[in-house]
Amino acid sequence: MAPDKPTSLITVTLPSGATLEDALRQLGIGRDAVDTDYGLVDLHNGTYALLVTEAVAERVHGTPGAQGPYANPKIEPFGPPQPRPDED
Amino acid sequence: MRVLIQMKPDRDVVEAVANPQLTATTQDVAGSMPGVELDQSFTPVALPRPVPSTAEGDPLSLTQPLRFSMRPEDATVLVRGEIHDYDAASRLSMLALSRSQIVGVSADPVIQTSPTCPGDGPVGNWQDVKNLLAELGADDLDGSGIALAITDTGINTQHLSNELDRPVTVDAARSWNPPGVTGKPGQFPVDHGTMCAFDALIAAPKATLIDVPVLLSQQQGPTVMSGLLSDAVAAYSHLWSVLETMPDDKRALVVSNSWGSFSPRWDFPPSHPGNYSDNPGHPFNLMVTALESAGADVLFAAGNCGLDCPDGRCEFPDRPIVGANSHPRALSIGGVDTRGNRVGYSSQGPGRLDPNKPDICAYTHFEGSHAFGAGEPDSGTSAACPVAAGVVAAVRTQWSANVIKPAELRILLQRTADDRGAAGFDHDYGFGIINVPAIMDALRRRSKNGHGIRR
Repeated sequence: MAPDKPTSLITVTLPSGATLEDALRQLGIGRDAVDTDYGLVDLHNGTYALLVTEAVAERVHGTPGAQGPYANPKIEPFGPPQPRPDED
Repeated sequence: MRVLIQMKPDRDVVEAVANPQLTATTQDVAGSMPGVELDQSFTPVALPRPVPSTAEGDPLSLTQPLRFSMRPEDATVLVRGEIHDYDAASRLSMLALSRSQIVGVSADPVIQTSPTCPGDGPVGNWQDVKNLLAELGADDLDGSGIALAITDTGINTQHLSNELDRPVTVDAARSWNPPGVTGKPGQFPVDHGTMCAFDALIAAPKATLIDVPVLLSQQQGPTVMSGLLSDAVAAYSHLWSVLETMPDDKRALVVSNSWGSFSPRWDFPPSHPGNYSDNPGHPFNLMVTALESAGADVLFAAGNCGLDCPDGRCEFPDRPIVGANSHPRALSIGGVDTRGNRVGYSSQGPGRLDPNKPDICAYTHFEGSHAFGAGEPDSGTSAACPVAAGVVAAVRTQWSANVIKPAELRILLQRTADDRGAAGFDHDYGFGIINVPAIMDALRRRSKNGHGIRR
Protein backbone atom coordinates (compact mmCIF):
# COMPACT_ATOMS: atom_id res chain seq x y z
CA MET A 1 0.00 0.00 0.00
CA ALA A 2 1.34 3.42 -0.98
CA PRO A 3 2.23 5.76 1.89
CA ASP A 4 -0.35 8.42 2.69
CA LYS A 5 1.24 11.49 1.09
CA PRO A 6 0.10 14.97 2.12
CA THR A 7 -1.93 15.91 -0.99
CA SER A 8 -5.38 16.68 0.46
CA LEU A 9 -6.27 20.36 0.34
CA ILE A 10 -7.84 21.84 3.46
CA THR A 11 -8.28 25.34 4.83
CA VAL A 12 -7.95 26.61 8.36
CA THR A 13 -8.90 29.89 9.97
CA LEU A 14 -5.92 31.62 11.61
CA PRO A 15 -4.94 35.14 12.66
CA SER A 16 -3.22 37.36 10.11
CA GLY A 17 0.47 36.55 9.69
CA ALA A 18 0.08 32.98 10.89
CA THR A 19 2.83 30.44 10.24
CA LEU A 20 2.78 26.75 9.40
CA GLU A 21 3.65 26.00 13.02
CA ASP A 22 0.54 27.91 14.11
CA ALA A 23 -1.54 25.77 11.77
CA LEU A 24 0.02 22.54 13.05
CA ARG A 25 -0.72 23.58 16.64
CA GLN A 26 -4.33 24.48 15.86
CA LEU A 27 -4.91 21.22 13.99
CA GLY A 28 -3.00 19.14 16.51
CA ILE A 29 -0.84 17.42 13.89
CA GLY A 30 2.86 16.94 13.25
CA ARG A 31 5.05 18.16 10.38
CA ASP A 32 5.09 14.66 8.87
CA ALA A 33 1.36 15.04 8.11
CA VAL A 34 1.73 18.19 5.98
CA ASP A 35 3.47 19.16 2.76
CA THR A 36 6.05 21.52 4.21
CA ASP A 37 7.24 22.55 0.72
CA TYR A 38 3.75 23.77 -0.06
CA GLY A 39 3.60 25.43 3.32
CA LEU A 40 0.80 27.64 4.54
CA VAL A 41 -0.88 29.66 1.77
CA ASP A 42 -2.67 32.88 2.74
CA LEU A 43 -6.02 33.06 0.94
CA HIS A 44 -6.40 36.68 2.03
CA ASN A 45 -9.85 36.11 3.47
CA GLY A 46 -8.85 35.07 6.98
CA THR A 47 -8.17 31.50 5.99
CA TYR A 48 -5.08 29.60 4.95
CA ALA A 49 -4.66 26.55 2.72
CA LEU A 50 -2.35 23.61 3.33
CA LEU A 51 -1.85 20.10 2.05
CA VAL A 52 -2.26 17.29 4.56
CA THR A 53 -2.49 13.52 4.42
CA GLU A 54 -5.84 11.98 3.62
CA ALA A 55 -6.05 10.51 7.12
CA VAL A 56 -5.50 13.92 8.70
CA ALA A 57 -7.99 15.55 6.30
CA GLU A 58 -10.64 13.12 7.46
CA ARG A 59 -9.69 13.58 11.08
CA VAL A 60 -9.75 17.39 11.06
CA HIS A 61 -13.11 17.46 9.28
CA GLY A 62 -15.39 19.15 11.75
CA THR A 63 -12.55 20.72 13.74
CA PRO A 64 -13.47 24.35 14.47
CA GLY A 65 -11.94 26.60 11.83
CA ALA A 66 -10.86 23.75 9.57
CA GLN A 67 -12.66 22.97 6.33
CA GLY A 68 -12.18 20.42 3.61
CA PRO A 69 -10.98 18.29 2.08
CA TYR A 70 -11.32 20.18 -1.19
CA ALA A 71 -10.71 18.68 -4.60
CA ASN A 72 -7.16 19.17 -5.82
CA PRO A 73 -7.58 18.09 -9.43
CA LYS A 74 -4.88 17.80 -12.01
CA ILE A 75 -4.78 20.80 -14.37
CA GLU A 76 -3.50 20.71 -17.93
CA PRO A 77 -2.89 23.20 -20.73
CA PHE A 78 -5.68 23.87 -23.24
CA GLY A 79 -3.48 23.49 -26.26
CA PRO A 80 -2.43 22.27 -28.64
CA PRO A 81 -5.69 20.30 -28.75
CA GLN A 82 -5.19 16.59 -29.29
CA PRO A 83 -7.26 14.66 -31.83
CA ARG A 84 -9.45 11.87 -30.53
CA PRO A 85 -7.90 8.45 -31.07
CA ASP A 86 -10.32 7.63 -33.91
CA GLU A 87 -9.45 10.89 -35.68
CA ASP A 88 -5.80 10.04 -36.13
CA MET B 1 -35.81 32.41 -44.42
CA ARG B 2 -33.94 31.64 -47.59
CA VAL B 3 -35.67 29.15 -49.88
CA LEU B 4 -35.14 27.27 -53.10
CA ILE B 5 -38.28 27.24 -55.25
CA GLN B 6 -38.64 24.36 -57.69
CA MET B 7 -40.77 25.33 -60.70
CA LYS B 8 -42.15 23.80 -63.85
CA PRO B 9 -42.22 26.74 -66.28
CA ASP B 10 -43.08 26.61 -69.97
CA ARG B 11 -41.15 24.13 -72.05
CA ASP B 12 -39.11 26.75 -73.90
CA VAL B 13 -38.00 28.29 -70.60
CA VAL B 14 -36.86 24.88 -69.32
CA GLU B 15 -34.96 24.37 -72.56
CA ALA B 16 -33.28 27.76 -72.17
CA VAL B 17 -32.21 27.01 -68.60
CA ALA B 18 -30.96 23.53 -69.44
CA ASN B 19 -29.03 24.62 -72.51
CA PRO B 20 -25.62 26.10 -71.58
CA GLN B 21 -25.61 27.97 -74.90
CA LEU B 22 -28.71 29.92 -73.89
CA THR B 23 -29.43 32.29 -71.02
CA ALA B 24 -32.49 32.43 -68.79
CA THR B 25 -32.85 34.66 -65.75
CA THR B 26 -34.88 34.31 -62.56
CA GLN B 27 -37.22 36.92 -64.05
CA ASP B 28 -37.70 34.69 -67.13
CA VAL B 29 -38.50 31.67 -64.97
CA ALA B 30 -40.54 33.12 -62.14
CA GLY B 31 -41.53 36.66 -63.12
CA SER B 32 -42.69 38.46 -60.00
CA MET B 33 -43.76 36.48 -56.98
CA PRO B 34 -45.51 38.61 -54.32
CA GLY B 35 -44.43 37.66 -50.80
CA VAL B 36 -41.07 36.41 -52.02
CA GLU B 37 -37.94 38.44 -52.56
CA LEU B 38 -36.48 36.61 -55.51
CA ASP B 39 -32.69 36.59 -55.84
CA GLN B 40 -32.16 37.96 -59.33
CA SER B 41 -28.43 37.35 -59.05
CA PHE B 42 -28.97 33.61 -58.86
CA THR B 43 -28.78 31.84 -62.23
CA PRO B 44 -31.67 29.36 -62.44
CA VAL B 45 -30.63 25.74 -62.33
CA ALA B 46 -32.27 22.95 -64.30
CA LEU B 47 -33.06 19.91 -62.18
CA PRO B 48 -33.35 16.52 -63.89
CA ARG B 49 -36.25 14.24 -63.10
CA PRO B 50 -35.48 10.80 -61.64
CA VAL B 51 -37.10 8.07 -63.71
CA PRO B 52 -37.16 4.31 -62.99
CA SER B 53 -34.67 2.47 -65.13
CA THR B 54 -37.22 -0.20 -65.96
CA ALA B 55 -40.76 0.17 -67.29
CA GLU B 56 -42.26 -1.66 -64.29
CA GLY B 57 -40.38 0.51 -61.74
CA ASP B 58 -42.14 2.50 -59.01
CA PRO B 59 -42.40 6.11 -60.29
CA LEU B 60 -42.34 7.44 -56.70
CA SER B 61 -39.37 5.52 -55.29
CA LEU B 62 -35.79 6.75 -55.05
CA THR B 63 -34.51 3.40 -53.73
CA GLN B 64 -34.32 1.58 -57.04
CA PRO B 65 -32.21 1.81 -60.18
CA LEU B 66 -32.82 5.27 -61.64
CA ARG B 67 -31.90 7.36 -64.63
CA PHE B 68 -32.18 11.15 -64.73
CA SER B 69 -34.04 12.87 -67.52
CA MET B 70 -33.24 16.44 -68.54
CA ARG B 71 -35.82 16.42 -71.34
CA PRO B 72 -37.88 19.64 -71.30
CA GLU B 73 -41.06 17.75 -70.42
CA ASP B 74 -39.34 16.10 -67.43
CA ALA B 75 -36.91 18.68 -66.00
CA THR B 76 -37.79 21.39 -63.49
CA VAL B 77 -36.01 24.64 -62.62
CA LEU B 78 -34.74 26.02 -59.29
CA VAL B 79 -34.78 29.70 -58.38
CA ARG B 80 -33.71 31.26 -55.11
CA GLY B 81 -35.48 33.73 -52.85
CA GLU B 82 -36.25 34.81 -49.33
CA ILE B 83 -39.48 34.88 -47.38
CA HIS B 84 -40.16 36.69 -44.14
CA ASP B 85 -39.22 34.79 -40.98
CA TYR B 86 -42.49 35.75 -39.34
CA ASP B 87 -44.93 32.83 -39.47
CA ALA B 88 -42.58 31.00 -41.82
CA ALA B 89 -44.44 27.67 -41.76
CA SER B 90 -47.72 29.20 -42.97
CA ARG B 91 -45.90 31.27 -45.56
CA LEU B 92 -44.19 28.18 -46.93
CA SER B 93 -47.53 26.40 -47.26
CA MET B 94 -49.10 29.38 -48.99
CA LEU B 95 -46.13 29.74 -51.32
CA ALA B 96 -46.47 26.16 -52.53
CA LEU B 97 -50.15 26.79 -53.33
CA SER B 98 -49.78 30.27 -54.78
CA ARG B 99 -48.63 29.37 -58.28
CA SER B 100 -49.43 26.25 -60.26
CA GLN B 101 -45.89 26.22 -61.67
CA ILE B 102 -44.39 25.74 -58.21
CA VAL B 103 -43.76 22.06 -57.59
CA GLY B 104 -41.73 22.29 -54.40
CA VAL B 105 -40.13 24.62 -51.85
CA SER B 106 -36.98 23.70 -49.94
CA ALA B 107 -34.89 25.38 -47.27
CA ASP B 108 -31.67 27.00 -48.44
CA PRO B 109 -29.61 26.90 -45.26
CA VAL B 110 -26.33 28.70 -44.86
CA ILE B 111 -23.48 26.30 -45.49
CA GLN B 112 -19.97 26.78 -44.22
CA THR B 113 -16.65 25.12 -44.61
CA SER B 114 -15.71 22.58 -41.96
CA PRO B 115 -14.49 24.23 -38.77
CA THR B 116 -10.84 24.34 -37.86
CA CYS B 117 -10.03 21.25 -35.81
CA PRO B 118 -7.11 19.70 -33.92
CA GLY B 119 -4.33 18.76 -36.31
CA ASP B 120 -5.33 21.27 -38.99
CA GLY B 121 -2.69 23.64 -40.31
CA PRO B 122 -2.56 27.29 -39.27
CA VAL B 123 -5.21 29.75 -40.46
CA GLY B 124 -3.29 32.97 -41.06
CA ASN B 125 -0.41 34.16 -38.95
CA TRP B 126 0.27 36.39 -35.98
CA GLN B 127 0.74 39.42 -38.19
CA ASP B 128 -2.87 38.97 -39.29
CA VAL B 129 -3.87 38.96 -35.62
CA LYS B 130 -1.71 42.01 -35.00
CA ASN B 131 -3.46 43.80 -37.86
CA LEU B 132 -6.87 42.96 -36.40
CA LEU B 133 -5.75 44.55 -33.10
CA ALA B 134 -3.68 47.35 -34.64
CA GLU B 135 -5.83 50.29 -33.57
CA LEU B 136 -4.53 49.92 -30.01
CA GLY B 137 -1.26 51.37 -31.27
CA ALA B 138 -2.95 54.55 -32.47
CA ASP B 139 -3.40 55.62 -28.84
CA ASP B 140 -0.07 54.15 -27.68
CA LEU B 141 -1.83 51.35 -25.82
CA ASP B 142 1.06 48.88 -25.89
CA GLY B 143 1.18 47.42 -22.37
CA SER B 144 4.01 49.69 -21.18
CA GLY B 145 4.43 49.27 -17.43
CA ILE B 146 1.68 46.67 -17.15
CA ALA B 147 2.28 43.41 -15.31
CA LEU B 148 1.00 40.49 -17.35
CA ALA B 149 1.15 37.15 -15.53
CA ILE B 150 1.35 33.99 -17.62
CA THR B 151 0.34 31.10 -15.36
CA ASP B 152 1.48 28.13 -17.42
CA THR B 153 4.55 25.99 -18.12
CA GLY B 154 7.10 28.78 -17.86
CA ILE B 155 8.46 31.27 -20.36
CA ASN B 156 11.57 31.22 -22.52
CA THR B 157 12.54 34.83 -23.21
CA GLN B 158 15.35 33.90 -25.59
CA HIS B 159 12.90 32.15 -27.91
CA LEU B 160 10.47 35.05 -27.68
CA SER B 161 13.18 37.57 -28.47
CA ASN B 162 14.34 35.50 -31.43
CA GLU B 163 10.83 35.13 -32.84
CA LEU B 164 9.86 38.76 -32.24
CA ASP B 165 13.30 40.17 -33.09
CA ARG B 166 13.28 42.45 -30.06
CA PRO B 167 13.90 42.22 -26.31
CA VAL B 168 11.23 40.83 -24.00
CA THR B 169 10.98 41.72 -20.33
CA VAL B 170 10.27 39.19 -17.59
CA ASP B 171 10.05 40.52 -14.04
CA ALA B 172 11.98 37.87 -12.12
CA ALA B 173 11.37 39.47 -8.74
CA ARG B 174 7.59 39.24 -9.10
CA SER B 175 7.61 35.82 -10.77
CA TRP B 176 6.96 32.71 -8.70
CA ASN B 177 7.61 28.97 -8.84
CA PRO B 178 5.47 26.21 -7.33
CA PRO B 179 7.21 24.15 -4.64
CA GLY B 180 9.80 21.87 -6.19
CA VAL B 181 10.13 23.79 -9.46
CA THR B 182 13.66 25.11 -9.65
CA GLY B 183 13.90 26.80 -13.05
CA LYS B 184 14.52 30.53 -13.32
CA PRO B 185 11.89 32.97 -14.61
CA GLY B 186 12.17 33.41 -18.36
CA GLN B 187 14.52 30.45 -18.71
CA PHE B 188 12.15 27.50 -18.91
CA PRO B 189 12.15 25.12 -21.89
CA VAL B 190 10.19 26.35 -24.90
CA ASP B 191 6.69 24.96 -24.52
CA HIS B 192 3.08 25.92 -24.02
CA GLY B 193 3.86 28.83 -21.67
CA THR B 194 6.18 30.41 -24.20
CA MET B 195 3.41 30.18 -26.81
CA CYS B 196 1.01 31.93 -24.42
CA ALA B 197 3.53 34.68 -23.67
CA PHE B 198 4.13 35.24 -27.40
CA ASP B 199 0.41 35.53 -28.06
CA ALA B 200 -0.09 37.97 -25.19
CA LEU B 201 2.67 40.20 -26.58
CA ILE B 202 0.93 40.58 -29.94
CA ALA B 203 -1.38 43.27 -28.56
CA ALA B 204 0.78 44.35 -25.62
CA PRO B 205 4.37 44.26 -26.94
CA LYS B 206 5.77 46.33 -24.08
CA ALA B 207 4.06 44.54 -21.21
CA THR B 208 6.21 43.17 -18.40
CA LEU B 209 5.73 39.43 -18.11
CA ILE B 210 5.41 37.67 -14.77
CA ASP B 211 6.37 34.02 -15.10
CA VAL B 212 4.21 31.66 -13.01
CA PRO B 213 4.86 28.05 -14.14
CA VAL B 214 2.00 26.33 -12.29
CA LEU B 215 1.86 23.55 -14.88
CA LEU B 216 5.38 22.39 -14.05
CA SER B 217 4.41 20.92 -10.72
CA GLN B 218 6.76 18.13 -9.76
CA GLN B 219 3.96 16.40 -7.91
CA GLN B 220 2.93 14.57 -11.09
CA GLY B 221 6.44 13.49 -11.98
CA PRO B 222 9.09 15.36 -13.95
CA THR B 223 7.86 14.51 -17.44
CA VAL B 224 4.17 15.34 -17.20
CA MET B 225 3.15 18.82 -18.32
CA SER B 226 0.46 19.31 -15.74
CA GLY B 227 0.04 20.66 -12.27
CA LEU B 228 -2.32 20.50 -9.38
CA LEU B 229 -4.91 23.09 -8.56
CA SER B 230 -3.29 23.63 -5.16
CA ASP B 231 -0.30 25.10 -7.04
CA ALA B 232 -2.66 27.60 -8.66
CA VAL B 233 -4.08 28.46 -5.22
CA ALA B 234 -0.59 29.29 -4.02
CA ALA B 235 0.21 31.18 -7.24
CA TYR B 236 -2.87 33.36 -6.87
CA SER B 237 -1.98 34.08 -3.26
CA HIS B 238 1.39 35.31 -4.53
CA LEU B 239 -0.23 37.41 -7.25
CA TRP B 240 -2.55 38.95 -4.68
CA SER B 241 0.55 40.08 -2.77
CA VAL B 242 2.04 41.48 -6.00
CA LEU B 243 -1.12 43.46 -6.63
CA GLU B 244 -1.26 44.80 -3.10
CA THR B 245 2.17 46.39 -3.47
CA MET B 246 0.97 48.54 -6.38
CA PRO B 247 -0.22 52.06 -5.64
CA ASP B 248 -3.96 52.43 -6.15
CA ASP B 249 -3.67 54.84 -9.05
CA LYS B 250 -1.30 52.54 -10.95
CA ARG B 251 -2.91 49.24 -10.06
CA ALA B 252 -3.03 46.88 -13.03
CA LEU B 253 -2.36 43.16 -13.19
CA VAL B 254 -3.58 40.96 -15.99
CA VAL B 255 -3.57 37.20 -15.38
CA SER B 256 -3.77 34.83 -18.34
CA ASN B 257 -4.76 31.23 -17.66
CA SER B 258 -4.75 28.75 -20.55
CA TRP B 259 -5.41 25.61 -18.56
CA GLY B 260 -8.11 23.72 -16.76
CA SER B 261 -9.52 20.35 -15.88
CA PHE B 262 -10.47 17.83 -18.54
CA SER B 263 -12.16 15.18 -16.46
CA PRO B 264 -14.71 14.90 -13.65
CA ARG B 265 -12.71 11.87 -12.49
CA TRP B 266 -10.09 14.30 -11.19
CA ASP B 267 -12.65 16.11 -9.05
CA PHE B 268 -14.97 15.33 -6.16
CA PRO B 269 -18.60 14.77 -7.20
CA PRO B 270 -20.71 17.95 -7.58
CA SER B 271 -22.63 17.03 -4.42
CA HIS B 272 -19.42 17.00 -2.34
CA PRO B 273 -18.76 20.26 -0.46
CA GLY B 274 -15.12 20.13 -1.59
CA ASN B 275 -15.98 19.88 -5.30
CA TYR B 276 -14.14 22.29 -7.63
CA SER B 277 -15.94 22.24 -10.97
CA ASP B 278 -19.37 23.36 -9.77
CA ASN B 279 -18.52 25.02 -6.47
CA PRO B 280 -17.84 28.77 -6.14
CA GLY B 281 -16.77 28.10 -2.55
CA HIS B 282 -13.73 26.03 -3.52
CA PRO B 283 -10.53 27.75 -2.29
CA PHE B 284 -9.27 28.40 -5.81
CA ASN B 285 -12.57 29.89 -6.93
CA LEU B 286 -12.49 32.08 -3.81
CA MET B 287 -8.95 33.16 -4.73
CA VAL B 288 -10.16 34.22 -8.17
CA THR B 289 -12.82 36.34 -6.49
CA ALA B 290 -10.25 37.81 -4.10
CA LEU B 291 -7.76 38.64 -6.86
CA GLU B 292 -10.41 40.23 -9.05
CA SER B 293 -11.76 42.22 -6.12
CA ALA B 294 -8.28 43.54 -5.50
CA GLY B 295 -8.10 44.85 -9.07
CA ALA B 296 -6.74 42.07 -11.28
CA ASP B 297 -8.12 41.22 -14.69
CA VAL B 298 -8.42 37.44 -14.73
CA LEU B 299 -8.82 35.64 -18.05
CA PHE B 300 -9.35 31.92 -18.54
CA ALA B 301 -9.44 29.85 -21.70
CA ALA B 302 -12.89 28.37 -22.23
CA GLY B 303 -11.39 25.00 -23.10
CA ASN B 304 -11.09 22.74 -26.12
CA CYS B 305 -14.16 20.57 -25.71
CA GLY B 306 -16.32 22.04 -28.50
CA LEU B 307 -18.91 19.74 -30.00
CA ASP B 308 -17.48 19.74 -33.54
CA CYS B 309 -14.07 18.26 -32.77
CA PRO B 310 -13.23 18.13 -29.06
CA ASP B 311 -9.77 17.52 -27.69
CA GLY B 312 -9.22 13.82 -27.18
CA ARG B 313 -8.77 14.36 -23.43
CA CYS B 314 -12.27 15.82 -22.88
CA GLU B 315 -14.28 13.67 -20.47
CA PHE B 316 -17.02 15.96 -19.19
CA PRO B 317 -20.21 14.55 -20.75
CA ASP B 318 -21.72 18.03 -20.97
CA ARG B 319 -21.08 21.63 -19.87
CA PRO B 320 -17.29 21.38 -20.19
CA ILE B 321 -16.52 24.97 -19.08
CA VAL B 322 -15.95 24.16 -15.42
CA GLY B 323 -14.56 25.74 -12.28
CA ALA B 324 -12.65 28.99 -12.67
CA ASN B 325 -12.88 28.74 -16.45
CA SER B 326 -16.56 29.60 -15.91
CA HIS B 327 -16.02 32.01 -13.00
CA PRO B 328 -18.36 35.01 -13.00
CA ARG B 329 -15.44 37.33 -12.08
CA ALA B 330 -13.23 36.02 -14.91
CA LEU B 331 -13.38 36.49 -18.66
CA SER B 332 -13.84 33.12 -20.31
CA ILE B 333 -12.31 33.21 -23.78
CA GLY B 334 -13.47 31.06 -26.69
CA GLY B 335 -11.50 30.66 -29.91
CA VAL B 336 -12.05 31.84 -33.48
CA ASP B 337 -9.69 31.60 -36.44
CA THR B 338 -8.40 34.69 -38.21
CA ARG B 339 -11.42 34.53 -40.54
CA GLY B 340 -13.74 34.96 -37.55
CA ASN B 341 -15.11 31.43 -37.51
CA ARG B 342 -15.35 29.55 -34.22
CA VAL B 343 -12.77 26.79 -34.16
CA GLY B 344 -14.55 23.48 -33.82
CA TYR B 345 -12.87 22.56 -30.54
CA SER B 346 -13.71 25.78 -28.67
CA SER B 347 -15.90 24.82 -25.70
CA GLN B 348 -19.50 25.96 -25.70
CA GLY B 349 -21.50 27.11 -22.70
CA PRO B 350 -23.36 27.15 -20.48
CA GLY B 351 -20.61 27.32 -17.90
CA ARG B 352 -20.91 25.59 -14.55
CA LEU B 353 -20.26 28.50 -12.17
CA ASP B 354 -21.86 31.08 -14.48
CA PRO B 355 -24.09 29.86 -17.31
CA ASN B 356 -23.29 32.82 -19.58
CA LYS B 357 -19.95 31.50 -20.79
CA PRO B 358 -17.82 31.90 -22.80
CA ASP B 359 -17.79 35.69 -22.47
CA ILE B 360 -16.12 36.53 -25.76
CA CYS B 361 -13.88 34.95 -28.39
CA ALA B 362 -10.38 35.84 -29.53
CA TYR B 363 -8.07 34.59 -32.26
CA THR B 364 -6.31 31.25 -32.27
CA HIS B 365 -4.91 28.58 -34.60
CA PHE B 366 -2.54 30.95 -36.39
CA GLU B 367 1.13 30.63 -37.18
CA GLY B 368 2.85 32.45 -34.36
CA SER B 369 5.38 31.48 -31.74
CA HIS B 370 6.70 28.29 -33.37
CA ALA B 371 6.87 26.94 -29.81
CA PHE B 372 5.82 23.56 -31.16
CA GLY B 373 7.94 23.72 -34.32
CA ALA B 374 7.82 25.26 -37.77
CA GLY B 375 4.39 25.16 -39.36
CA GLU B 376 2.64 24.25 -36.11
CA PRO B 377 -0.02 26.78 -35.17
CA ASP B 378 -0.50 28.50 -31.87
CA SER B 379 -3.74 26.70 -31.16
CA GLY B 380 -6.44 25.87 -28.66
CA THR B 381 -8.30 28.37 -26.57
CA SER B 382 -4.85 28.35 -24.97
CA ALA B 383 -3.80 30.84 -27.65
CA ALA B 384 -7.07 32.78 -27.72
CA CYS B 385 -6.87 33.56 -24.00
CA PRO B 386 -3.50 35.36 -24.01
CA VAL B 387 -4.42 37.19 -27.23
CA ALA B 388 -7.36 38.66 -25.30
CA ALA B 389 -5.18 39.16 -22.22
CA GLY B 390 -2.81 41.19 -24.37
CA VAL B 391 -5.67 43.44 -25.44
CA VAL B 392 -6.66 43.92 -21.80
CA ALA B 393 -3.05 44.72 -20.85
CA ALA B 394 -2.88 47.22 -23.71
CA VAL B 395 -6.03 48.95 -22.48
CA ARG B 396 -4.59 49.06 -18.98
CA THR B 397 -1.62 51.05 -20.31
CA GLN B 398 -3.68 54.17 -19.78
CA TRP B 399 -6.69 52.93 -17.86
CA SER B 400 -5.81 51.57 -14.44
CA ALA B 401 -8.04 49.29 -12.39
CA ASN B 402 -9.15 52.13 -10.15
CA VAL B 403 -10.41 54.06 -13.19
CA ILE B 404 -12.04 51.13 -14.97
CA LYS B 405 -12.66 48.32 -12.52
CA PRO B 406 -12.16 44.76 -13.83
CA ALA B 407 -15.92 44.20 -13.82
CA GLU B 408 -16.46 47.36 -15.87
CA LEU B 409 -13.78 46.34 -18.33
CA ARG B 410 -15.40 42.93 -18.76
CA ILE B 411 -18.69 44.61 -19.57
CA LEU B 412 -16.95 46.95 -22.01
CA LEU B 413 -15.34 44.00 -23.81
CA GLN B 414 -18.68 42.17 -23.92
CA ARG B 415 -20.64 45.19 -25.10
CA THR B 416 -18.19 46.05 -27.88
CA ALA B 417 -17.69 42.48 -29.12
CA ASP B 418 -18.43 41.76 -32.76
CA ASP B 419 -21.63 39.74 -32.45
CA ARG B 420 -21.57 36.32 -34.14
CA GLY B 421 -23.82 33.30 -34.06
CA ALA B 422 -27.31 33.98 -32.71
CA ALA B 423 -28.16 37.64 -32.13
CA GLY B 424 -26.78 38.84 -28.81
CA PHE B 425 -25.20 36.41 -26.38
CA ASP B 426 -24.97 32.76 -27.37
CA HIS B 427 -23.12 29.79 -26.01
CA ASP B 428 -20.90 29.37 -29.09
CA TYR B 429 -19.33 32.84 -29.33
CA GLY B 430 -20.47 34.45 -26.07
CA PHE B 431 -21.04 38.12 -26.86
CA GLY B 432 -18.90 37.82 -29.99
CA ILE B 433 -15.33 38.37 -31.13
CA ILE B 434 -13.06 40.83 -29.33
CA ASN B 435 -13.34 44.04 -31.31
CA VAL B 436 -10.50 46.51 -30.88
CA PRO B 437 -11.93 49.35 -33.03
CA ALA B 438 -15.15 49.27 -30.99
CA ILE B 439 -13.17 49.13 -27.72
CA MET B 440 -11.15 52.15 -28.81
CA ASP B 441 -14.27 54.02 -29.80
CA ALA B 442 -15.82 53.35 -26.39
CA LEU B 443 -12.65 54.39 -24.54
CA ARG B 444 -12.30 57.58 -26.56
CA ARG B 445 -15.92 58.51 -25.90
CA ARG B 446 -15.42 57.75 -22.22
CA SER B 447 -12.38 60.00 -22.14
CA LYS B 448 -14.09 62.76 -24.10
CA ASN B 449 -17.09 62.68 -21.79
CA GLY B 450 -14.83 63.03 -18.76
CA HIS B 451 -15.58 59.62 -17.28
CA GLY B 452 -12.45 58.53 -15.54
CA ILE B 453 -8.91 59.78 -15.67
CA ARG B 454 -6.16 58.15 -17.64
CA ARG B 455 -3.01 56.97 -15.89
